[in-house]
Amino acid sequence: MKDELAKRLVQGLKNAGIDFVTYLPETRLSQIVPLIRDDPEMTLIAASNEQEAVTIAAGATLGGKQAAVYMENTGIYVSSYSLLTVGKQLGVPLLLIVGYLGGVPDQRNSFLYAIIGKHTIPVLQGMEIGHQIIEDGANLEGRIKDAVRAANALRAPYALLFAGEFSV
Amino acid sequence: MIRYECLELLASKMNNQLLVTSQSGQRIEWSHLSRHEGNLLVGMMGCAIGVATGLALALPHRKVIALDSDGSVLLSLFNLPTLGNLQPNNLVVYVFDNGVYSGSRISYPTATSGNTDLEAMARAAGIKNSHTIREFEDFKVKGVEALTRNELGFFVCKVEESLMHREIPRPNTDLAENKYTFVRYLERTEETTIPFIGRG
Repeated sequence: MKDELAKRLVQGLKNAGIDFVTYLPETRLSQIVPLIRDDPEMTLIAASNEQEAVTIAAGATLGGKQAAVYMENTGIYVSSYSLLTVGKQLGVPLLLIVGYLGGVPDQRNSFLYAIIGKHTIPVLQGMEIGHQIIEDGANLEGRIKDAVRAANALRAPYALLFAGEFSV
Repeated sequence: MIRYECLELLASKMNNQLLVTSQSGQRIEWSHLSRHEGNLLVGMMGCAIGVATGLALALPHRKVIALDSDGSVLLSLFNLPTLGNLQPNNLVVYVFDNGVYSGSRISYPTATSGNTDLEAMARAAGIKNSHTIREFEDFKVKGVEALTRNELGFFVCKVEESLMHREIPRPNTDLAENKYTFVRYLERTEETTIPFIGRG
């Protein structure tokens, strides 16, 4: 991902009101981590795994933050229990910023992640978690804002799956 | 030590703290003992400490309490290194450790009735203020004192297996109802608006 795209992604999060991010880093979007860390208006919390990242972000949301979770799509599988129980059952909005590895639009697609990528959307659909694939920077800020608004209105997690330009 | 007695004592100390429970007999007992609006009765195992950590980070001036069980903590051991490094000084975790999967109704042993020491694991993960409490007299001192200290606390409370929660009616508060009571309580006491609530 070009640095300019990383900056726009983080600015888009800020414009959408995101002020608290939990994460486990991955390869495609990791440039956003130092940008968030260095932003005095945002809190960045490293988690041991994505299941925990979801629960910490959910607690922060209930405490008045607008929270996001940054993870690799493998983390969707790891955190599915928390996404269902805390995210869906308790009804806590969260923006999921997901590196969509191994999906068709992943420009670094490899056999290592192909199965992971193939099952990501069916798993999200199975949990009835709304999602969009973002492949380029067109209206990036608007799409992030829409996703946060949707998560809040639905009182549920909403996932943005980043691939295409974000994966090179 | 009897869990219900510990919870009864904690309930008498509740004022403006926020409290998160995991799913186990203590959730039922706590809901019977306390109607505090700052109670969040999370209905799942392995999630309470994470949610409580998020609350503690979002509201560093409020004391946050997590009530958990040995079975639940064993599901979420990944919380220990995170807490050991974040050190939220407004969070106190009580793990009521009866050494069995009591909710399963067969009460087979958990790892803590074998070789596993949760206090030692927490300490090794970086939580210095980690203790095992075996006697109610000790709980009355160490356990309660933690509520007034500005330090992350992790207390493994060794309790007898109790089936008292099966005699108590389960809470009939819906999870969403509980969530909104909790959030409205926060809005009132923090004099703020929780962003996701929005307007209809």
